[in-house]
Amino acid sequence: MADLGAESPERLAAFEARIAAGEKIEPGDWMPEAYRHQLVRMISQHAHSEVVGMLPEGAWIPRAPSLRRKLILLAKVQDEAGHGQYLYHAAETLGVHRDELIAALLEGRAKYSSVFNYPPLTWADVGMIGWLVDGAAIKNQVMLAQCSYGPYSRAMVRICAEETFHHKQGKEMVLTYARGTAHQRAMAQDALDRWWWPSLMMLGPHDSDSPNTPQLVRWGVKTKTNDQVRQEFVDEHAPELLEVGLEVPDPELRFDPADGHWHHGPIDWDEFWAVVRGDGPLNAERLEARRRAFEEGRWVREAIAAHAARREATA
Amino acid sequence: MSAAPGRPSGDGPRWEVFKQDAAGKPHQAVGSVHAADAEHALLMARSVHARRPAAVSLWVAPADAVLSVTAEQLAAAGDEGAAPAHGDTEGAPQRYLVFRKSSHRRAITFVDHVGEVTAVGPWAALRAAIVAFPEPPALAWWIVPSERVSASPDYEAAAWFEPARAKTYKQQSAYGTTAPTRRRRQG
Ligand SMILES: [Fe+2]
Ligand SMILES: [Fe+2]
Repeated sequence: MADLGAESPERLAAFEARIAAGEKIEPGDWMPEAYRHQLVRMISQHAHSEVVGMLPEGAWIPRAPSLRRKLILLAKVQDEAGHGQYLYHAAETLGVHRDELIAALLEGRAKYSSVFNYPPLTWADVGMIGWLVDGAAIKNQVMLAQCSYGPYSRAMVRICAEETFHHKQGKEMVLTYARGTAHQRAMAQDALDRWWWPSLMMLGPHDSDSPNTPQLVRWGVKTKTNDQVRQEFVDEHAPELLEVGLEVPDPELRFDPADGHWHHGPIDWDEFWAVVRGDGPLNAERLEARRRAFEEGRWVREAIAAHAARREATA
Repeated sequence: MSAAPGRPSGDGPRWEVFKQDAAGKPHQAVGSVHAADAEHALLMARSVHARRPAAVSLWVAPADAVLSVTAEQLAAAGDEGAAPAHGDTEGAPQRYLVFRKSSHRRAITFVDHVGEVTAVGPWAALRAAIVAFPEPPALAWWIVPSERVSASPDYEAAAWFEPARAKTYKQQSAYGTTAPTRRRRQG
């Protein structure tokens, strides 16, 4: 195979023309190193978020209030494990190995979504996470399904189909509580009070604080900015929450008939960055849980490898 | 079953996974798993890629057995790529499975199985595939020696793939529209 060569202006222009024409970039195609680097960063963070995202809800599986709810939650958490695998696969097509990425997570060198460092305190939180956190994730993932990099786009298309189940089961639970007894309504409201702002924050810093965004948009990695995706999320969820009689914990939230959008008040970015830096309520616990799972799985990996080696030797 | 060389890893080498949605449809590349051997890879593939209906068969192949070439790489290789010895050491003719991607449309899968060729090496197989399967034009080719491909066992098909059909609570359609009422927003 001919050497596809270094980054000349012509090559970069040809690459950008392909993206402008709506072509997908596939493994083996030429790409600027910065494109590859940004994709590895984004996809691996996304994969880690799916994997760490199993922990808050996984803790509620034994305490589900009915067999139906237990089956649903098991299936949802299993889906998140699968999402992590689809995404590690997509990252591996860019020349990194899943082992390196997981090592970075376990050693605390990798980022994952800040929202999973908050504790789900009641069963109503499980519903609210499905409705809001998965709801916010879907908005982001629908955008990323248009990504110019083929493997990432395909993982997103598959994930979005499964996330819609996560979103709907959560919404169904919250609606049940919101229309239930006074105590259930209070639980739903309490859950909303704690999950509303983390859900807005998980869509990332404002565009003015996202220096990578213009290049990511030009290269079709992202097709919308953080603020655009957050606006879509608020426009869908704020009116529905109000409709069921819940109060969104934002005194400045209002609908502007002039532009047709729901406008939210200022986000507490100090809190966001503190959680990203590792000072959230559960950062240490989340990493500890992942490390423990990795260690407790060691004997399984060793047994499988020994079995394969013996089978190979006697084949 | 053949050996699965690859870089040493706690989770074993990488295997590409191909899923068939229904009888008569092609197997399609859906992603990869890490596994110690082909049997393990098929079990992993089932857990990761067949948690929903629309699966009747899975294939796995070690990732390092796949020759993957995009249209851009083919064009860049030019005449060099057409040279008989390109990348191949001549061997006994063997069967290769041919997979192709031919659209930039948004999709959930990558290359589709389109057929088989017999050749002395993967590059010779690619050249044969380009002749045998000219339409529609390929954006990417995968060439995989058929002896390196392992299939999910037919006698397991019901046990592996039927349960996903019964678990209707995993389908978003099971929840209908749960919108509280009509949206307030206009247009
Ligand atoms: Fe997910
Ligand atoms: Fe989800």
